[in-house]
Amino acid sequence: MKEPVYEVFARKSREEPLRHIGFINASDGDLARVYAWKTYDEQNWAEMCVVPRAAIIPLDPTESQFVTALPDEHEDEIVHSQGTGSYGGADVAVKEAR
Amino acid sequence: MTDTLAAPAFEKAEQLPDDVRAPLRDLILALADSKRVLGLRYSDRMLGSPTLEAGIAASSMAQDEWGHARLTYALLSDLGDEPRALEHERPAAEFRSIAALDAGLESWPAMIAAALLVDGALATQYAALLNSRYTPVHNRVQKLLDEEKFHFQYAAGWARRIAQVPELRGELARALERFLAPALAWLGRDDAPATQRLVEEGIVAAAPSALRARFLARVGPVLEDAGAAGSLGVSRDGDAWAYAGSIDWAGWNDATRRAGGGLDEETAARARGDKNRALLMD
Repeated sequence: MKEPVYEVFARKSREEPLRHIGFINASDGDLARVYAWKTYDEQNWAEMCVVPRAAIIPLDPTESQFVTALPDEHEDEIVHSQGTGSYGGADVAVKEAR
Repeated sequence: MTDTLAAPAFEKAEQLPDDVRAPLRDLILALADSKRVLGLRYSDRMLGSPTLEAGIAASSMAQDEWGHARLTYALLSDLGDEPRALEHERPAAEFRSIAALDAGLESWPAMIAAALLVDGALATQYAALLNSRYTPVHNRVQKLLDEEKFHFQYAAGWARRIAQVPELRGELARALERFLAPALAWLGRDDAPATQRLVEEGIVAAAPSALRARFLARVGPVLEDAGAAGSLGVSRDGDAWAYAGSIDWAGWNDATRRAGGGLDEETAARARGDKNRALLMD
């Protein structure tokens, strides 16, 4: 049985944006919630969410940390951007335009 | 039953009616000992879990249970006990942990069945203390119940998942059968005078049979999803859930919530922390 990946987002206060803090594998959303809480409980989070990685649509799948496998037929849909981009508050290097 | 909205709170045990103090102590000690042993049993399944995340969660749950135990033992100081002595100095025969945990959890399905049914029964009893007139209990239960929501989700998620695996389904059903009747019994007898007094005084929110109904309403849908409800005698009854089996009260002791037997010395030594006794801090 293959377990989907869930991305974990959290913030310490209501004023902060949610930021990406990691990921877990879980067979469904309920277990993903438990695993996220139990794996990333070192901080006193005000809010934590899990998102199925499959639900995230990156603009540049070749560089995105949220893509497990990139189907070849989607190459035409890739939008390549320049500089750095923000993923939910965490700075992530993004590939230069080609 | 006392009108708990109008009745004043009990800030200290000395304010409790004389015939309520002992039953309250019995209840708290049974909860604390059961939490302590449950944490031990979880800890035995931390390694070799099906996935890394499941192991991390089991480890965290084991620590939660020991935290709940410690918090619960601490309540007993107001009732005249020395919590440190209760935690670290009692022989096995004096432990009042739920009998269903006298033996270990030998498999992952057994771990999940215990998390669903044993932890579920304990959580149901704690929830009945949430609005207790006895303030020290009332103040400590909410955080514990918040953590128990995750334990329940974990158990429910894994029970559903194991039930999808044909070669494990039977083992899960046997584990659920092992724990269901003891979990239901552990909630106690309606006609136990001491238990009735706890309800009358607003210390505990509901009688044992009402707690059994709440417990079944919680676990029934999971048992149904796992395809085990029918064989366990658990079924929907309108909006509620019913248990068709009978509870064997032979030899039942309302104070210890056991019908004989006991924890083995080796497990009690682990529960007491014998190996680290010299390192105990005040």
